[in-house]
Amino acid sequence: MTAYLVTILTLVCIAIILGLSLNLQWGLCGMVNFGMAGFFALGAYSAALVALSGAGTLAATVTAATICALASAATALISLRLSDEYLAILTLGFGEVIRLVILSEEWLTGGSLGLPGIPRPFWGLVSEKDYELLFLGLLILVVLGLFIALEILVRSPFGRAIRAVREDDIVVATLGKNVTALRVKAFAVGGAIIGIAGAFHAFYLTYIDPSQFSAIITAYTFMAVIAGGRGSNKGLLLGAAVIMCLIEGSRFLKDVVQVLDATQLAAIRLILIGLGLILFLIYRPQGFAREYSLKGSKLISPRT
Amino acid sequence: MTRSSIYHPNRRKFLAGIGASGATVLGAPNVARAQDNEIPIGVLLPFTGSQGAYGPDMRKAAEITTKMIADAGGILGGRKFKLFFEDDESTPTAGLAATKKLLEINKCQAVIGIWGSPIAMAIKNVLIQANACMMVSGAANAITDGDTKGLVWRYQAKATDWGPAMAQAMISRKWKTISILAQQNAFVIPMIEPAKKEFEKAGVKVLDTVVYNPDQPSYRAEVQRIFGGSPAPEAVMSLGLLTDFVSIVREVVRNDYKSKIMALSIMADAEGKFIQSVGADVAEGIEHFQPSPPLGSPNYARFQKLMGADANALFLFAGNTHDQICTLALAMEKTKSTDPLVYTKVIRELCNGPGQKVDDVVEALKLVRAGTKIDFVGAGSDCDFDERGDQLNRHYGHFRIEKGKQVLVQIIKGV
Amino acid sequence: MIAQVVLNGFVTGMIIALPAIALTLTYGILKFPNFAIGAMLTVGAYFAYIANAWLHLPLVWAAVLAAVALAITSVGVDRLVFQPLRERTAITLLVASMGVSFVLENVARFVLGNSARSFEVAIARPQRYFELRVNMEQIYTAATALSAMLAIYIILRHTALGRAMRAVSDNPALAAVRGIDRERIARWMWVIAGVLTAIAGVLAGLDRAIDPLLGWNYVVTVFAAAILGGLGNPFGAVLGALTLGVVEETSTLLIPPNYRQVVSFCAIAFLLLARPQGLLGSVRVKR
Repeated sequence: MTAYLVTILTLVCIAIILGLSLNLQWGLCGMVNFGMAGFFALGAYSAALVALSGAGTLAATVTAATICALASAATALISLRLSDEYLAILTLGFGEVIRLVILSEEWLTGGSLGLPGIPRPFWGLVSEKDYELLFLGLLILVVLGLFIALEILVRSPFGRAIRAVREDDIVVATLGKNVTALRVKAFAVGGAIIGIAGAFHAFYLTYIDPSQFSAIITAYTFMAVIAGGRGSNKGLLLGAAVIMCLIEGSRFLKDVVQVLDATQLAAIRLILIGLGLILFLIYRPQGFAREYSLKGSKLISPRT
Repeated sequence: MTRSSIYHPNRRKFLAGIGASGATVLGAPNVARAQDNEIPIGVLLPFTGSQGAYGPDMRKAAEITTKMIADAGGILGGRKFKLFFEDDESTPTAGLAATKKLLEINKCQAVIGIWGSPIAMAIKNVLIQANACMMVSGAANAITDGDTKGLVWRYQAKATDWGPAMAQAMISRKWKTISILAQQNAFVIPMIEPAKKEFEKAGVKVLDTVVYNPDQPSYRAEVQRIFGGSPAPEAVMSLGLLTDFVSIVREVVRNDYKSKIMALSIMADAEGKFIQSVGADVAEGIEHFQPSPPLGSPNYARFQKLMGADANALFLFAGNTHDQICTLALAMEKTKSTDPLVYTKVIRELCNGPGQKVDDVVEALKLVRAGTKIDFVGAGSDCDFDERGDQLNRHYGHFRIEKGKQVLVQIIKGV
Repeated sequence: MIAQVVLNGFVTGMIIALPAIALTLTYGILKFPNFAIGAMLTVGAYFAYIANAWLHLPLVWAAVLAAVALAITSVGVDRLVFQPLRERTAITLLVASMGVSFVLENVARFVLGNSARSFEVAIARPQRYFELRVNMEQIYTAATALSAMLAIYIILRHTALGRAMRAVSDNPALAAVRGIDRERIARWMWVIAGVLTAIAGVLAGLDRAIDPLLGWNYVVTVFAAAILGGLGNPFGAVLGALTLGVVEETSTLLIPPNYRQVVSFCAIAFLLLARPQGLLGSVRVKR
């Protein structure tokens, strides 16, 4: 029983890291990343390839974060003069391109056969049986670290500037801030976080292949963020947990409800997620919690 | 909003949420666990996602076989198998979570079924670490690589055996020029190089090879390049899945291309769905190839009856799950143990022989109890294994579609 | 060979053009990109399949039925989901449309399962003109798509409804002042979008098998076409779709065919760098 919960918690932690990135990019900067699954794959494959080459898992994680940050920065630069919707589509397209490249360039990525045997951080430190617990512990530390770092970022001058850009970038430009640099930097930081998530995903599964990175990951992440309240990292913790319980819970539902076949149950689960998304947006756009804002000032909360 | 609500999400809702999820996980003990005299067996199959079509028959075969054994008194003094089915959703991540559930919550010490190679790869280490028996139906070579502690058993032809066998079938048709049109996926790609080598050896020219992505809106460009090349190949080796094959075949007919097609049976038969999708006219003349059950043999005929199907029914994978259940039962009965590290040691002896050939598992159990040596032959194959857990002597069926019916052209025996 | 490829591209472009027009109209009038366009296409194809395979209607009538059904569905979805969100940001609507996409696709999956279906239609042998192979499906596709585009043109340029739609698209506040009811226009827009997308669904279903992922495979390309032509401009959408179709198909002469979609993406990325408003779009002031 505990091992099962450890698995679930590990997957939730990875989902939380993705959610933190989305909260940064979308919640804080108002930049929609619809290609999250693609960047996630980019991070996972980068980390896997570096780790497999023997350079160690730390180097792998750093590489993954850097590559994703650069890719995100490039995407943001291209969409500078475009409105948000264009960025959404651009990132969607970019995500698809990454998937295609991973699928086709067998010499590098193993194509559909994937990359097996990815080394894990601190492997050998404890017995095989206890490793999952160690990994989860490490992951929780990473999540906490990112959480704290992001909370600091939100309250920093950079954070305030970014939120100002989200609300009205013309005013910010008038005030002399370099709007372009702010947006690109923010998007890149978000990208780096996705890279870290990808690296840990690769370490955890020790085997990655393109089918693990479908667009549904993007959807789940959006759902977790919206449920938790866009911009709120604390809410995200709850949002991610709820989504994961919904997904895994339906697995148990199967043991109890025998009437519908598996395809139909899977369809219902996705219908519930879609409906959940819609209902949250209509009736409770702020999700479970509110974003941090300056004392008492409703004027600064995001227009959803 | 007051200050406090900015920092604290609604506590009541939070606790309710955690409570509900906790209840779901912990609160179904009766359904989630086997009774004491039952042996829990995990069956991981694709019921949804791109491979979802293959799960149901494999499930049925497992259930029927289990019932048959239970009705005959079970094993180890009256114990029965309790099957726990999980959907791997055709993705490794879901397969991993499902496997963990099977191991930890349902307390299974064996997981069988496992159709898709990527799923098998993702859960392999987890199962080996848990000292659980793993029986797969996937073709990727890497599944049986490395130290498996004797726990991994493959009820399928290896991709690198499959490729040359299919090439052999095409060579036997005396086509001099062929092209290859393949989908980018884990079991097709490893087939290509070995097949090409086989063609080379026989002096058949491979004109062109094109690999395409699944889920494209149209395959017109690929089809025109392969079928419309100059010169056009006499035959095309088409490797992929049902959905893209339907598009490809229609494109071929629409453009009136003349090359013959040799595909896999999961594309050109797919439990009859292919002919249903394109109609008998379009399907006419298409040939296909697949590691098959031992067609025409008494063991397979018995299985067809068991599944309630007629003598023409082609069960590509369901027989494998039947064999997996039978192997488990026989091995456990022989060693009087439910510990995988113990009973997997006798699988080769039971399946390869030498001994009395037997295909009925109830018969076989009686013989094992009496101490007689047996050679179990299955419904999916002859069920002979090498020391790596890979199957030997797999049959391959070569079929042609004539007037809307599948006609057997020949059976090729593999390595 | 080149002519063949260009022809193929043209025909593929025609299929894309219809949902691209729908997408761009939605963007122009309701100011958000409708992510559910792919799922709508799938549902349209399934409606036609039900009419064709279960009710045994000939394909043309099945298409008509599907068009009506999808139009009704679109209006319904608008009422339930998009109308309550009318005053919110485009991104909220975009994410909501993602939710709609999930629901639609999975309702289809729930009812009809995952396996691929096909219309009951005989496949015809191709016609040959000089060196070109033109198959019957391509001719039907071209004819249907062109008629639909002609109809749209007539509606937009020569009817009161069309004028009202263009007014709302250009300047909703001013249009309201002139007494144009935005909700009424929105309803008609969804009707048109539904009809166009259903037709595209039928054409796509003819081209390949119908399964729950049918429309999903078109989403990126449809968006690319609409963006290329300039979001909000229906004629731009047609131009964008045809251009993309031809570019994608001709690219197969130079690069491996499985990279086609990368080409579309790169094409729009570069275009947007140079000309953010697309080929025929008007320069938009951000926010």
